[in-house]
Amino acid sequence: MKINYHLFMIALRQLLNRKRQTFLTLSGISVGVMVLITAVSLMDGLLQSFIQKIVEIAPHVIVSGEKVRPTVPDQLVESHGNTHVTFIKNVSREDQEVIKNYPRIESLIQRDSLVELISPSVSTDVIGMFGTISEPIQLFGIIPALEDGIEKFSKNMISGSLSDLEKTPDGIMLGSSVAKDFTSRVGDRMQIVAPSGQIFSVRVVGIFMTGINDIDDNCYVNLRLGQNIGGFSPDEASNLYIRVNNLSRDGLVARTIEQETNYRAITWEEKAASVVALFKMISGIVYFLVFFVIMVAGFGVANVLITNVLEKVRDIAVMKSLGFKRSEITWIYLIQGIMVALVGATIGCVLGFVLIEIMSSIPMASSSASTIRTDHLMMGKNPMYFVGASIFALIVSMVAAVGPSRSAARVNPVEILRGER
Amino acid sequence: MDEPIIRLDHISKKLSVKNGGEEIVTKILVDISFDIAQGEFTAITGPSGSGKTTLLYLMGGLDRPDTGRAFLDGQEISAMEEEELAEMRNAKLGFVYQFHFLLPEFSAVENVMMPMLARGRASTGEARRRAAELLSELGLSDRLHNKPNQLSGGQQQRVAIARALANSPKVLLADEPTGNLDSKNAETIYKLFSDLNTRTGQTIVVVTHDEHFASETKRILHILDGQVSSDRQLR
Ligand SMILES: Nc1ncnc2c1ncn2[C@@H]1O[C@H](COP(=O)(O)OP(=O)(O)O)[C@@H](O)[C@H]1O
Ligand SMILES: [Mg+2]
Repeated sequence: MKINYHLFMIALRQLLNRKRQTFLTLSGISVGVMVLITAVSLMDGLLQSFIQKIVEIAPHVIVSGEKVRPTVPDQLVESHGNTHVTFIKNVSREDQEVIKNYPRIESLIQRDSLVELISPSVSTDVIGMFGTISEPIQLFGIIPALEDGIEKFSKNMISGSLSDLEKTPDGIMLGSSVAKDFTSRVGDRMQIVAPSGQIFSVRVVGIFMTGINDIDDNCYVNLRLGQNIGGFSPDEASNLYIRVNNLSRDGLVARTIEQETNYRAITWEEKAASVVALFKMISGIVYFLVFFVIMVAGFGVANVLITNVLEKVRDIAVMKSLGFKRSEITWIYLIQGIMVALVGATIGCVLGFVLIEIMSSIPMASSSASTIRTDHLMMGKNPMYFVGASIFALIVSMVAAVGPSRSAARVNPVEILRGER
Repeated sequence: MDEPIIRLDHISKKLSVKNGGEEIVTKILVDISFDIAQGEFTAITGPSGSGKTTLLYLMGGLDRPDTGRAFLDGQEISAMEEEELAEMRNAKLGFVYQFHFLLPEFSAVENVMMPMLARGRASTGEARRRAAELLSELGLSDRLHNKPNQLSGGQQQRVAIARALANSPKVLLADEPTGNLDSKNAETIYKLFSDLNTRTGQTIVVVTHDEHFASETKRILHILDGQVSSDRQLR
């Protein structure tokens, strides 16, 4: 049907006639839309900054020593009649899973044009000692130039430098948490107790801080020294860290590696899956709560419309006696719902935009010297927040308007006009 | 004379009121039949509660008879659906009530525009022009933009009459239009009705208590206990 100008006029006049109530309803919708937009922006921003940080500073694919298909017992040692003794696994070295002959594996992986960088590393749990302090630390042996391509140390150094590690065979680079625990500085000498019991003397050449606790708890030495401390042979590595040049294809890269090398390869998404899921669950709860705010605003819309219908029942009867269609009467109140929603949503969008700007400019004590240092709250920015929240408010208002509109259309003019005295 | 504009054919209307478990049925109108010709000016008189308003609403398609048939302009309105009735009221009838029943948020001219704008019948511009014209004819040219509460009782009722005339109705139905007015204002309204009738041949049916008003019309239908007790042609 054609919605004519006069229906808008009637709808608008009735709303303006109840200025205070209309204003309160508008405020309800505005605040609801504002809170929804801001909450979505906040949650989205948190998730995005988290993912961005991971992608920036974590390997896209990690290859570990775990075998995808268990090794087939292939070394028959002895046979006595029905008894067979086979050699399955050498458990002598603490049952460590390592990548054997890693340079060969690397060259295999390197053939994939999606692979940008491969950084081999060994990791060992050791005891660090400095002065009277001794503490367990996780020690990584790395090739500094390669590992820097993954973890971006050179951008996160708070003292010393990565090139000093390269130049110093017995150098060690400490994560900021470790450095703080040991109160050690660049130039200090400290001891590392290897799992074998052997003690290595190392010199602190650098301290870094990424802002990610897991990484700032670690210490790094050159690969060769790391292999010595951990008892690895020179062609063994614990992990290969890989950066790819197309993030959306990292799953493909991982699967290819598993197939070709039989070593387990996991992507950053797989590794962070539980954290991302947690984020999503928290966002879900937040949205759910915010939806209630808009629902309550919807009750406000229903309230103002019901009041308008009840108060205007005589005018509705008069309009019907003048020959207004049922649908025209219905539209008058639907239009009121739509008007309140549109105006409220518009105000809410403006307020939401302002609030997001304000919140994203709030300074935050930075816990890191990272490349992606967040010195203020990271808020998601996406026009869809505004569109989505407005559509939601519109739907809620329309639903709220249906009841009052229908009861307006059902008014029987005779009953009302007779009763009016 | 050609076909009557209004024809009531053995109309009855009952009212049933639930009182506790009992249903009390009151007869409001009993077997009423009469015709009203085009151009007639008819008064319906009778004591309070005799059924005059009910009768007027039945003629105007606002209400439906229980038995009998009602015709307007050759169409049986007693058989029409609600939406058909609404369209018919909009196109062919004008109502004036004891109370002006103007929409309070709208100016005089906007109130008169309403029946023209309903159902998308006329454009806003056209409607505004015709509404201003009608109001001027009724002596309200200087009150076009006043809201109802800024008008006197007589002026309000004249705006209501202009609204009833907006779509050039076949029949103007009025239910005690002077019931709320002082005698001077009432006099203006009487004159207005008879002028309309003589000047434009407007068919008018008016319910009134007022003997004087009734005597100005051409025909008086007297209702008593839901029946036509007398039907006098005056002129
Ligand atoms: N909705 C109603 N509820 C109760 N009584 C009604 C109703 N409609 C009509 N009546 C009764 O029907 C009778 C006729 O009413 P009405 O047509 O208004 O008479 P009049 O207009 O002549 O005063 C009255 O007795 C009135 O009380
Ligand atoms: Mg009456």
